[in-house]
Amino acid sequence: MIKVATDDIKAISKYILDISGIDLNEGKAYLIETRLGGLIKEYECSSYRDLCSKAKTDSNKSIENKIIDAISTNETLFFRDSGPFEVLQHKILPDLIDRRTEKSSGLLPIPIRIWSTACSTGQEVYSIAIVLKELLPDLNKYNIKLLGTDISDSAIKQASYGTYNKFEIERGLSKEKLQKYFIPNGGNWKISDELRAMVSFTKRNILESFMGLGKLDIIFCRNVAIYFDLEERKKLFENIASVLEPDGFLIIGSTESLTGICPIFEPKRYLKTIYYQLR
Amino acid sequence: MKQLRILAVDDDPFTLKMLDKKLVKEGYDIETASDGVEAIKLISQKFYDIIITDLVMPGGVDGIDVLEAAKTQNKQTEVILLTAHASVENAVEAMRKGAFDYLQKPVNFYELTLRMEKIRDYKKMFKNAQDLREAMDVTEQNAAQTIQLLEMNVAELNNVVSEIRRVIMNQSIDPNKCVARVLDIVSS
Repeated sequence: MIKVATDDIKAISKYILDISGIDLNEGKAYLIETRLGGLIKEYECSSYRDLCSKAKTDSNKSIENKIIDAISTNETLFFRDSGPFEVLQHKILPDLIDRRTEKSSGLLPIPIRIWSTACSTGQEVYSIAIVLKELLPDLNKYNIKLLGTDISDSAIKQASYGTYNKFEIERGLSKEKLQKYFIPNGGNWKISDELRAMVSFTKRNILESFMGLGKLDIIFCRNVAIYFDLEERKKLFENIASVLEPDGFLIIGSTESLTGICPIFEPKRYLKTIYYQLR
Repeated sequence: MKQLRILAVDDDPFTLKMLDKKLVKEGYDIETASDGVEAIKLISQKFYDIIITDLVMPGGVDGIDVLEAAKTQNKQTEVILLTAHASVENAVEAMRKGAFDYLQKPVNFYELTLRMEKIRDYKKMFKNAQDLREAMDVTEQNAAQTIQLLEMNVAELNNVVSEIRRVIMNQSIDPNKCVARVLDIVSS
């Protein structure tokens, strides 16, 4: 594997920060070699700096997209941590539906808008869809918009296909849910059409403008901000606050905290899990 | 890593005997079954790390059936199929159904042991990944408990501080009453 020159680490880290927001501080420089080593060969570059230069001048951004795919971590599984999905099912959705029903004229379906900010290959979004389906058997009474976004092209593509291999399917899904919501597809499993139809996926870098998103009722932003520096985190959660309905809900990763990052949010506890609402 | 448990299945006694002899010599823990029916019975009774099975066997239970039974019983079992009728379709079907690999008869034992070493490496890596995930889960759960407790405590303390600040800044309150109120807030 080609070694990264010490002098180049700063420039490459800066480039990665610019295109993805991912903060490769000095301790993580090894990620440059392990994750971008393959691209050096693919694009016949003499060094990592050379790879970045090629990416910058590549007009269709295919090298940049490949760098983002390689550097971003797609660790995800169905019903990761379980707590957030229990809160969603037993606290957040019932509360939200009660309030929205009070406000509703009864003529139009009740809107529920949920956003998974870094949905990776789709497991979180489909877990949310399963919770919605189990809680609300009559989905037609609601106008559900479930949006999954991610910075990685290839992750969004897989999420959109909704197809998972045996390793992915074994992580977090009970046999009962697998049989109920997935269809065997070759050696893989594909999400049912009904659940797939509830979701839309788009590529989006959440450190860029939130234009066009509209207002959201529930936002999942779990284990994403951990890759950003403090300033980026502050900006991100302020932006999230600006698109969240005043009575909306935010869920972050189980080991994350908003203390010192975004005082607009107030932590609340339900069973063993914390969720946030605007003060 | 402990020794791999192997089940060899073939209706041809000569191949079965050769497999048994060679693999015992290589140090593997091996059992044999002379047809698919016997294999499926054994699979339902105990776990095998690797099953080496002939593809075409008499008695209504062929290698694909053995593969499917093994995978249903335990996904960790890896299956190598042997066939005298090498055809791409059979190989593709077997691989799609989860076979680890496919070998043509007559069996080249060097090739077979190479495949088995590959399975051993693969299983080791799989176990490492599982161990890492479990370690990560435990660490994450512990960290989550601590962080969430701190998060709630800090929020509560912030509320107390804001309340105290509000009382102190309120100049219409008599200073003595102010102290009493602050003490009330702190002790509540």
